[in-house]
Amino acid sequence: MEVNGQLALTVLMGVFLIAVAAWLARVEDWRSYTPLAGGGTVGGTAEQYVSEEKPSGVIRWLTTVDHKDIGMLYGAYALIAFAVGGLMVVLMRIELADPSMTLISNTFYNSLLTSHGITMLFLFGTPIIAAFSNYFIPLLIGADDMAFPRINAIAFWLLPPAALLIWAGFFPIPDVIPAQTAWTMYTPLSAGVGSGNQVNAGVDLMLLGLHLSGVSATMGAINFIATIFTERDEKVSWANLDIFSWTILTQSGLILFAFPLLGSAIAMLLLDRNFGTMFFSVDGGAILWQHLFWFFGHPEVYILVLPPMGIVSLVLPRFAGRRLFGFKFVVYSTLAIGVLSFGVWAHHMFATGIDPRLRASFMAVSLAIAIPSAVKTFNWITTMWNGKIRLTTPMLFCIGFVSNFIIGGVTGVFLASIPVDLVLHDTYYVVGHFHYIVMGAIAFAGFAGLYYWFPIYTGRMYQVTLGKWHFWLSMVGTNLTFFAMILLGYGGMPRRYATYLPQFATLHQVATVGALILLVGQIIFVWNFAQSWLEGREVEDGDPWDLADDDLTTAEWTWFERKLETAVTDGGEDETELATDGGQAVDDADADSADDA
Amino acid sequence: MDEAPGLSDQYRTASPWPVFIALGIPISELGLLFDLFPLAVGGLLLFGGSVVGILKESGYVTSTIRAVTALAVIFLAFGAWLAFTDIALVTRGYAVIAAAILLAVGGVVFELFVREQRQTF
Ligand code: HEM
Ligand SMILES: [Cu+2]
Repeated sequence: MEVNGQLALTVLMGVFLIAVAAWLARVEDWRSYTPLAGGGTVGGTAEQYVSEEKPSGVIRWLTTVDHKDIGMLYGAYALIAFAVGGLMVVLMRIELADPSMTLISNTFYNSLLTSHGITMLFLFGTPIIAAFSNYFIPLLIGADDMAFPRINAIAFWLLPPAALLIWAGFFPIPDVIPAQTAWTMYTPLSAGVGSGNQVNAGVDLMLLGLHLSGVSATMGAINFIATIFTERDEKVSWANLDIFSWTILTQSGLILFAFPLLGSAIAMLLLDRNFGTMFFSVDGGAILWQHLFWFFGHPEVYILVLPPMGIVSLVLPRFAGRRLFGFKFVVYSTLAIGVLSFGVWAHHMFATGIDPRLRASFMAVSLAIAIPSAVKTFNWITTMWNGKIRLTTPMLFCIGFVSNFIIGGVTGVFLASIPVDLVLHDTYYVVGHFHYIVMGAIAFAGFAGLYYWFPIYTGRMYQVTLGKWHFWLSMVGTNLTFFAMILLGYGGMPRRYATYLPQFATLHQVATVGALILLVGQIIFVWNFAQSWLEGREVEDGDPWDLADDDLTTAEWTWFERKLETAVTDGGEDETELATDGGQAVDDADADSADDA
Repeated sequence: MDEAPGLSDQYRTASPWPVFIALGIPISELGLLFDLFPLAVGGLLLFGGSVVGILKESGYVTSTIRAVTALAVIFLAFGAWLAFTDIALVTRGYAVIAAAILLAVGGVVFELFVREQRQTF
């Protein structure tokens, strides 16, 4: 870089640091820190000053370490990412409405494809799960907060820079173009080898962003493991731990083993790209990348699906009027999936020419992993069997989840069989398979949770009719789009192309229509969500779903009820409920500062 | 005691440091990857300073100057490793070393002047 540029950058950086220091000096009196042991509890730093829960306005959101606020931040972040990733794919689907290149260039299509995948998996999928787990796990297990509230905040705040880096190629920065590596970033393409344009810094920026999101996920996972192990209320034993906490615990374990590996692989790729190492360019380097990537990548799909399964296992019984059928077996299946998911990664590499004996063993484990998945499916169905079904919007989304998960799972079993996979690999069939799960199941469970807990986090009720519209448009749209893709795959349509042979036109058009139906559904959702939040009917009953009638109330609703009651009695608005839990921390602090004096 | 309590004294569930730790990491990474000296130094300072701040705030360390020194030594070692071994990423190494020195200087200044002031309140 030129001297001038360096100078400008230095000045900019200096001004920024001074601004940060000045802001900190304004809001924070860091000289006041009293040495206390056990920074784990937020209350730990409190002197007599502690008067309120949190500051107001923007500063509250920038500085919060409250698990509920952080949950809300994750949720807002995830929904924005969902909108970005969704609009990207709408453009792609419109381009695919006719066989030739019309609306956007092929390279731009590739860029959108790459960003869509990474955005949906890492910036929507993982964060929307973190939104629910941050908000509800401490409530469900009776903890005051997460084990490490500040680490929790750091984990969230790593995500906005991660998104900016991942999308950096689309911003008008000179000489930076978006990555076109697809989300799998296969080498040698992603190492920038050859005459392609993937040496561009846009790829490095995306890799950095992905790395950052991995650091964030890992920090969150450590926090959840510590919280579920150590912060449970005395009344909450392993035997009566709720199903959602079980899935988050398992998911966190998977993250702990999978994401650091992705981080290392990305670091190696960055070294290859920028510092002349040759991890992935020597003989076997390309296959090495695939092993490393899929050792992370397959567990990642279960990282994304287990907690949504937990949400469904929690919500679906509430509207079937009975307890989850075979609770224990659902927990065992969760754990089994967690363990097995590390033994199947090479089913993504059946077509690479790896040793056939290895291939066969991966086929066996891949078929085996379908068993615990099926156990869960049967348990959901038997829970509903002869139940007192109430078709509320969250319940509809749960049933949609089960239905779509069956199609997604069954297509997966076929892919796990080597001879079938060799025919269908790298076709739209694979795209159809995993979208039945990521859109049809994971996103559906996310919506189920968003509707089910809407009264808790907004204090209001959503508009029921719009909720139903949202569900049905999503259900029809998903099945139209992704079933067409399964058929396209049977026909031999390869994935990841901006153009195609005319013979595929009809099915592609069906898929595009499906995507547009989905778009309409999501617009209705956004409207319903925003408008109900601002103007919806206020919830006065701590049990808006009448769970108590069937004796199915869970801890978060009890908490909500208490919150509503305290709010009424002392006329306060928010936050008052915590005055009671806050007691202990303040006492500690008092004792400590007395020692200091 | 102070008349104007700081944010994290006054509010039980607030801390100003996480945002800056989270910003420091990508800024320093960008600086080191693309060899942009000011970004690397600034990002590391932001990161290092905020780490010390959060450790102090949560009571994991009692002495600012010792925490700063420990971080500076780690940075110094990392910088030296980059600059003076076979890796030979000289400018990047110097950036890390510069950050280490600035961090240490900052720690001393804080110890001598800012903390002193408090006792005269
Ligand atoms: C019932 C158990 C499942 C089995 C046996 C299975 C099997 C497979 C197989 C063999 C492939 C590789 C296809 C190919 O590239 O030729 C594949 C791809 C994929 N599966 Fe599954 N799957 C299952 C469940 C899931 C779940 C639960 C998810 C998501 C949460 C998922 C997400 C994916 C994704 C994202 C890909 C595509 C990766 C890519 O190449 O971009 N699968 N699956
Ligand atoms: Cu897989």
